[in-house]
Amino acid sequence: MKEARRYKSGLIPSLNPLGFNVERWSYTLHRATGVILIGYLAAHIFETFQLGAGSAAWANTMAALHSLGPFEMVGLWVVAGSALYHGANGIRLILNEMFGKLMGKPILPVYPYSPTSLGRNQRVAVWTITGTVLALWVWAGFYLLAGLGIV
Amino acid sequence: MKESWSMVVTYFSDVVLVFVLTFHLLLQSPLTGKALDETLSFANATGNLVYYKIVFGLLLLTAVVHGLNGVRVIALEWLHPKTMGWLLNLTVVALMAFFLSLGTYTLIVVG
Amino acid sequence: MDKLTLKVTRTDGGHVSYGLRYRKGMTVLDALTEIREKLDSTLGYRHSCRMGICGSCGMTIDGIPRLACQTQISSLNKDTISVEPLHNMTVVKDLVVDISAFFRLHASMKPYLIRKDIEERDHSEREYRVLPEEVSKFLQFDYCIMCSLCYAACPTAALDPMYTGPQAITQAYRYIADPRDEGWKQRIDLLDSSHGVWRCHAAGACSFVCPKDVDPAKAIQMARMEVLKRQLLRRGGRAGAQLVPPPSPGAAKQGAKPPPFDMGQGSVKNQ
Repeated sequence: MKEARRYKSGLIPSLNPLGFNVERWSYTLHRATGVILIGYLAAHIFETFQLGAGSAAWANTMAALHSLGPFEMVGLWVVAGSALYHGANGIRLILNEMFGKLMGKPILPVYPYSPTSLGRNQRVAVWTITGTVLALWVWAGFYLLAGLGIV
Repeated sequence: MKESWSMVVTYFSDVVLVFVLTFHLLLQSPLTGKALDETLSFANATGNLVYYKIVFGLLLLTAVVHGLNGVRVIALEWLHPKTMGWLLNLTVVALMAFFLSLGTYTLIVVG
Repeated sequence: MDKLTLKVTRTDGGHVSYGLRYRKGMTVLDALTEIREKLDSTLGYRHSCRMGICGSCGMTIDGIPRLACQTQISSLNKDTISVEPLHNMTVVKDLVVDISAFFRLHASMKPYLIRKDIEERDHSEREYRVLPEEVSKFLQFDYCIMCSLCYAACPTAALDPMYTGPQAITQAYRYIADPRDEGWKQRIDLLDSSHGVWRCHAAGACSFVCPKDVDPAKAIQMARMEVLKRQLLRRGGRAGAQLVPPPSPGAAKQGAKPPPFDMGQGSVKNQ
């Protein structure tokens, strides 16, 4: 017998953070950047493989990448941002998941409720990471996109 | 292998990856005093690979293990195989071996 | 705000809008009850205590899982409110969902005290000794009313129907942390499985929506650390809390007589 369909479940609803807390937005961004990075990693391993084939093969690879036009640097900029966010947020997740930091201790709930796992320490960590990553990403943008005349 | 072991490997590879990837990005950055085109030249790229072979080897290992374990987790959640979970694990391990061998070949040949 | 529109999702997936007159202090449950009594008697939804203790009236209100009886219309700051069934569960009718899968996951974690000596557990004449500071480590997680809002909010539960879920893991941790419990081995296989505690990615949506501040996200991380400690470091095995010993036989003879029963001023006796 076919399993009954669950209401609004699946890939897209799992990635939809609208209306939820900032940590849920972090989850979606962490997942999206992870997928971007693994795609880039696979392509990058194939690209650097050409180094072993000699300078002519490398020149051809670079020429093929340059033929993408502005998309080459914009793509690299997106990957740079993904790496920055995924790495920084990953450190926060390790602190949460492996060491139980930023989560607070069990308390006696008192109304109005405010879960300690989403408390001040966690928020400070999330926004510090976001701010730092944005700043570094903008700096990377100036470096990577300079040749395009955008910045 | 219990799931806890694979997650510990993911966590440790993440910590190491942050350091080696930062090093790799700094080598390509304007902090070296070189323009982007120069950092991507054949001489510079192969020179970095030869000089920092161990770092790049570590980068390859941690990036492939961490990244493909992440793919495994996403596939596990999305596909939630009831009996063929072993096939998913085998596919991921095979992909890890493939990318590790490609990268290691590059390091050996260039070195 | 005088006029209010409730856009309710019906069984066929379509939306029906109902116009109501807003009254001060009106909750979403009040609005649904008024719809059923005056506008559409076919509307199906669950409710019971109407005071946030039974967990029956869980539904998705403006995209967030909430208890209808605890959601004041005024707190939503909108004239049109969307009301849908809880996500990640199959719909039975209108706003009523099938929560049997949720309860199965809860039961799979063996949410009861497990003792090696069953005879002692079931037929003891003394209580188990548990200190207040030991209780404080798990009492928060005991306040769960099993409303399934956390399960509806969880992004992993949305993707993976086999995921144990924040509520079940929280209850597993509640018993693991209880010094009276000796059932770690009975719960570990499910906790440390491919769909157990490691599928949580700390999105925190469960704690965000919990109406009782049970904070499942915290419990899951604590359960994770327990798994790491016991599975990898092989630490933490302990015997459960013991029964309070009976008083020594001579204590009643040696001690002072208990004071006479004093009913105090204003008692019936003194009037």
